[in-house]
Amino acid sequence: MRSKLLALLGSAALTVGIANAGGYQVNLQGQKQIGMGHVGTGLALDQSSIFFNPGALARLRQNGVQVGISALTSKIAYREPSPGISEARTDNPMGTPFQVYASYGAAESPWRFGIGVYTPYGSTVTWGNAWQGRFGLNELTLKTIFIQPTVSYQITDKIGIGAGLVISTGSVNLQRSIPLIDASGREGHIELDGKAKTALGFNVGILVQPIEKLSIGLTYRSEIDATVEGGDVTFITPGAAPVAAQFTANQFDATLPLPDNITLGIGIMPTDKLTIGIDVQRVGWGAYKSLRFDFNGRVGQAPPVETTVSDAPRNYKDAYIYRIGAQYKVSDMLTVRAGGYYDQTPVRTGYLTPETPDADSRSVSAGLTLAVSEKVDLDLSFSYINKKERTDLADKSGGVPGTFKSVAYIPGVGVNYKF
Amino acid sequence: MKNILHKIGTAVILSSAFFFAGCEPEFEEKEITVSAGPLDLSKYVAIGNSLTAGFQDGGLYLEGQVNSYPNILAYQFSYAGGGQFVQPLFSNEQFNGSGYLRLTGFTTSGSPIIAPVTTSLAVRTDAAALPGGPRLAKFANPATIQNWGVPGISVLSSSQAAYGGINPYYERLLTDAEVGQVPYVQKVLSTKPTFFSLWLGNNDVLTYATNGAVVDPNNPFSGLTDPTTFRAIYTQLVTGLVQGGTEGVIANIPDVTAVPYFTTVTQDMVRRSAGNNQLVIYIRTGEGQADVRPIEAGDYILLTTQAAIGRADNFNGTTIPHGFHPLNPLTDKEVLDKAEVEEVRGRTIALNQIIKEVATANKIPVFDTFDFFNKRKSGFMQNGIGYSAAFITGNLFSLDGIHLTPRGYAIVANEFINTINSHYKSTIPTIDVTQFRTVLIP
Repeated sequence: MRSKLLALLGSAALTVGIANAGGYQVNLQGQKQIGMGHVGTGLALDQSSIFFNPGALARLRQNGVQVGISALTSKIAYREPSPGISEARTDNPMGTPFQVYASYGAAESPWRFGIGVYTPYGSTVTWGNAWQGRFGLNELTLKTIFIQPTVSYQITDKIGIGAGLVISTGSVNLQRSIPLIDASGREGHIELDGKAKTALGFNVGILVQPIEKLSIGLTYRSEIDATVEGGDVTFITPGAAPVAAQFTANQFDATLPLPDNITLGIGIMPTDKLTIGIDVQRVGWGAYKSLRFDFNGRVGQAPPVETTVSDAPRNYKDAYIYRIGAQYKVSDMLTVRAGGYYDQTPVRTGYLTPETPDADSRSVSAGLTLAVSEKVDLDLSFSYINKKERTDLADKSGGVPGTFKSVAYIPGVGVNYKF
Repeated sequence: MKNILHKIGTAVILSSAFFFAGCEPEFEEKEITVSAGPLDLSKYVAIGNSLTAGFQDGGLYLEGQVNSYPNILAYQFSYAGGGQFVQPLFSNEQFNGSGYLRLTGFTTSGSPIIAPVTTSLAVRTDAAALPGGPRLAKFANPATIQNWGVPGISVLSSSQAAYGGINPYYERLLTDAEVGQVPYVQKVLSTKPTFFSLWLGNNDVLTYATNGAVVDPNNPFSGLTDPTTFRAIYTQLVTGLVQGGTEGVIANIPDVTAVPYFTTVTQDMVRRSAGNNQLVIYIRTGEGQADVRPIEAGDYILLTTQAAIGRADNFNGTTIPHGFHPLNPLTDKEVLDKAEVEEVRGRTIALNQIIKEVATANKIPVFDTFDFFNKRKSGFMQNGIGYSAAFITGNLFSLDGIHLTPRGYAIVANEFINTINSHYKSTIPTIDVTQFRTVLIP
């Protein structure tokens, strides 16, 4: 099963964009949910419950496979602090967060088994090597893929529970300019590139439907640390021996926390055709205290320093996301959706960084499902994210002071095959 | 069916991505407000010495001229009604100007190897040298010049008609008829600017200090300028400039101990590079037999002395390394000793007081470079880059240890703009200093 699912991913470019969430959490885990403000914890919409609420999976009566992908175009603008007027804009490549879910269970069995593959955290931001903040960041690519085998059990008509084992992998690539200029005028450069070790976590949930028109879900997804050991360090610096002697590192270790989530979701079904979802999600960003790199050599220090630790405070705070969305079944062929969310930034004043120039963000979205045939549904979604303009001195994070503004446009498509 | 769905999906994704790629994030303040306030920046004239000319790496050459702080100021003024700005640039063929120093490598002990650039110079061979050095190619249109930075000039020499026949940097800005006839003060006042910058006075202390506090008998401008004389000339200059309500900005004299020319070579550094912790450097502090002592904290060895330290000098058949023995101490000229530092600093403070008084009397704001460099000499961070008054690695000072790098000049230009904006309530934009180079490392 697992190998088959992985094969489905084929050669999709597995990059994920930054501008769509607080910090580097990506809120794009199901095309139906994206269309309605990414609610889903209190609902049992489809196989993506494997992510949204494993306890809701057992409620699904059909077996099926779902594949979805989003095309994330994010843009960030920067303006230096007054009275400066220099501006910069990111040239981020299109991100393609994806999700694959499959579930199976015998028709009358209370058990459902499933597996999900999705990209819950990630970031791609490309500022280039000419902007004022280039010594903070040229570009960052952070990718994670979670694989989640899941089991769900319907205890009674009204209560379902579920749990999934999360197996995470990922990679990081970070590039910066180094403020040393060689005889031809070329600036120095450092590139850190590494693969995250496979790590384990879990995703558990419960869905209770006390009455026909109301369901309540609660989930917890554990924190996972993405740890790179022995990542590659590559320098471009002037060749003179005393300079080269200051750049001897060739490996680094680093750990980035992928924070836990607690989500409470409510589903309201006033009529057969209308479904309303409300989610409140707490993201444990407080786990992200600092961005620390341990190098096995010197990174700009003179001997006798032998190894280098670069430790930049991040000091994130826990943040809440409030979501609301609804879907309306127009006909057997067509279901339409709309929603939105408000996502608090975890980044405190003074801690803004060019890799996550984060601010409170507002998102609106819409979507639809076309029942193409008995067995095949097509989901379309569109989400627009607008982060508040934010000006920060970045004096506590060693970031880049100035004003940042981000927007993102995310169309997505999904295919469901039911059997 | 699957195939069709795949095609539809791909088409939807690609077309929407294409459509939305055109939508850009916008700032609430779409257009930045830029205003000159009450200033008329249509004709800006810069008055000053080597720092104003764009002198760097021990020379004046085209790159330094283009990156001079007045040129940066004029560029930023152009956002707020500034007019064109003519600098007396060297030609593209003679772009190395007077020649300059460049870093060619490092010795095995890590000391920089600095070599002169001697090609594509603007040095004239068709006319006799002046007392201040060989003549330089004249600027073709002296009547249009707006950057009047003259390397070497002091407030004292600016009042002397003869100076045009002494200093080749001034001579190249004058017509042949004016040479030796027109004092600098008269010349710059005749330009009738609508806005001026004035950073003059450094050489009224610095020429003396960089010579180890020894007056050169052949150079009448190599001492510490008398405050009374300084006040008279400076007052004449400033009151002349503000005639008719012309506004401007003034900068004062930095502290000599804030520049790497004086602070780089230390006994510790010599010990390290010699690999000998016991070495003691001896210095001569006066003419007398007894005026020799071990170097102490507060004595400054000049950057140019470095090459002479440890030189094997022969004394009646005995070799004594220079500076390492009381019988062969560093000479008075090679060191600015404690007492001399106090003398130079005392005069700097006195002249800065005069600058402040004259500026205040004429309602012209002062960029306090004495304070600015002293506060920053031990280091500061900006744009993720470390700066300090350290030689080469500090990013601010060029290879001569006194003049700034293009980056350093850009930082100074921004501070001029901050001074102007604060006094005149203007909003002239500052420049992105990271676009300017620091020392080039081979």
